[in-house]
Amino acid sequence: MQDLSELQKAVIEGEVSAAVAAARQALDEGHAPIEIVAQGIGPAMAEVGKLFEEGEYFVPELLMAARATKEIFVILRPLLASSGAQPAAHVVLGTVQGDLHDIGKNLVAAMLEGGGFEVTDLGVDVPPEKFIEAVRRKPAQIVGLSALLTTTMPAMRSTIEAFNAAGVRQHFKVIVGGAPVTKKFAESIGADGYSESAAASVDLARSLLAS
Amino acid sequence: MNDPQWKTLVAAVRGESISPLPTAFIIDSPWLPNWAGHTILDYFTSEHIFLEDNLKAIRAFPEAIFLPGFWSEYGMCTEPSAFGAVSMWGEDEFPFAKKVLLSPAEVERLEKPNPRKHGLLPFVVKRLQHLQPEIEAVGHKIRFAVARGPLNIASFLMGTPEFLEATKTHPELMHRLLDLVTDFLVEWIAYQREVFPSIDGILLLDDIVGFVSRRDCETFALPYLQRAYNADVAIKFFHNDAPCKACAPLLASAGINLLNFGTQHTINDMKAWTGNSIALLGNIPPRDVLAEGTPEDVRRSTTEILSAVQDRSRLIVSCGGGMPPHAPTENIRALIATVQELTR
Repeated sequence: MQDLSELQKAVIEGEVSAAVAAARQALDEGHAPIEIVAQGIGPAMAEVGKLFEEGEYFVPELLMAARATKEIFVILRPLLASSGAQPAAHVVLGTVQGDLHDIGKNLVAAMLEGGGFEVTDLGVDVPPEKFIEAVRRKPAQIVGLSALLTTTMPAMRSTIEAFNAAGVRQHFKVIVGGAPVTKKFAESIGADGYSESAAASVDLARSLLAS
Repeated sequence: MNDPQWKTLVAAVRGESISPLPTAFIIDSPWLPNWAGHTILDYFTSEHIFLEDNLKAIRAFPEAIFLPGFWSEYGMCTEPSAFGAVSMWGEDEFPFAKKVLLSPAEVERLEKPNPRKHGLLPFVVKRLQHLQPEIEAVGHKIRFAVARGPLNIASFLMGTPEFLEATKTHPELMHRLLDLVTDFLVEWIAYQREVFPSIDGILLLDDIVGFVSRRDCETFALPYLQRAYNADVAIKFFHNDAPCKACAPLLASAGINLLNFGTQHTINDMKAWTGNSIALLGNIPPRDVLAEGTPEDVRRSTTEILSAVQDRSRLIVSCGGGMPPHAPTENIRALIATVQELTR
């Protein structure tokens, strides 16, 4: 049985076809799906995040690695479900109401999936009711709110207020992010965590779950 | 912008010694209408409100230069609308353009718009023409041709993640897209200059340039920026408040001589990366300080930033990006007063 370095290399380099082929080969060779996530995708996406933080990688490189990860999960997700493997936590993500940007949210979704989290991506322009409906349908440990526009940042506050009004806020941690969002703003709206970059979102999620 | 302000701007760009340092802000639809007591949609749909709000800002802050001056843009919808993008409006929301290309291959069917006829562009020009006598009656002139940059327009047409991914998966098609967008941009800028002979500057706004590596910037941004800025004007102004360490050293070779950047970098770093060949417009934190801080926070931040700057040539004090929504009058006044006190 080969190690997962080929898969890691393909993810890091954003080679989507090679990453999918490497994942299939790993399964054929007897690697468990959870092992492919923990020892293949996770370390690869951590490396991608590190390269981004160091200024070696930029948004297109992150996007390609995220796309490779997403395609691998198309194969792995049903196998993970049937094997009974438990994700680190369930995260519900969405871009807040009025905002149609998805770049940051998509990157965070890929980083979290690579980090072993189960992600429900509600898409863009998500009204508070849709978040609430999602966490009622399937309990989440973390809800992530994204916004790219300064004009839609107030929707983060109103979404959290809607969580309070619906009586669901205490069941999960809320993380926020997006280009104009700052730590100070996150604190002011009652979020539990803020990540400056998609790459740091896995560490943030883990630290919140440990706290 | 009046004549003395324009002269100050040109002098700053040339690196002349200016005392006190100029203070200037990009003001546009998220901040201006709300500050003046109107909704964004009213601002966009009423020539009267548009003029009134701009004049109110000019009179409230006479020491500040507002950039690019009177510009009748429709937010991010302006150029995408000419390509057929649906414009979405809310009463007090920034307008947004829906993408028109659902795959890289669809670039093949895209046609170059005519800036005189397509989308919102004739409205942009006509509005300014209608208001030109009143603008000039108060001593101001229309100084800049304004447009989103080539990568920004391409991102709106395709979606940002899709465009950036396609630079890796379909580079030839993305060059074709950028080529067509730039051909259009050149004509759009030329048309604005033709209608308003007082224009002696070009402003392009393009944050997407800051999202890519230096190599991708050289390949996908620089050649198109060079073409878009290839006009005989005094000021070639670029707005990019995304991280710009990778692209900063390249911008001068596009002809850019004035740059509004974000808060990710210090003025000293930006001066080093640009070889002090580009006048810098920045970089007080817009949201945490200018919009949400107290006047004392603004004074402290401005003092800290100015104290750290070793070379104050080619520097215009501003916030790191456009004027943020809800920035209050007293904070803007505190910024202007602090600059005047410290650099007189």
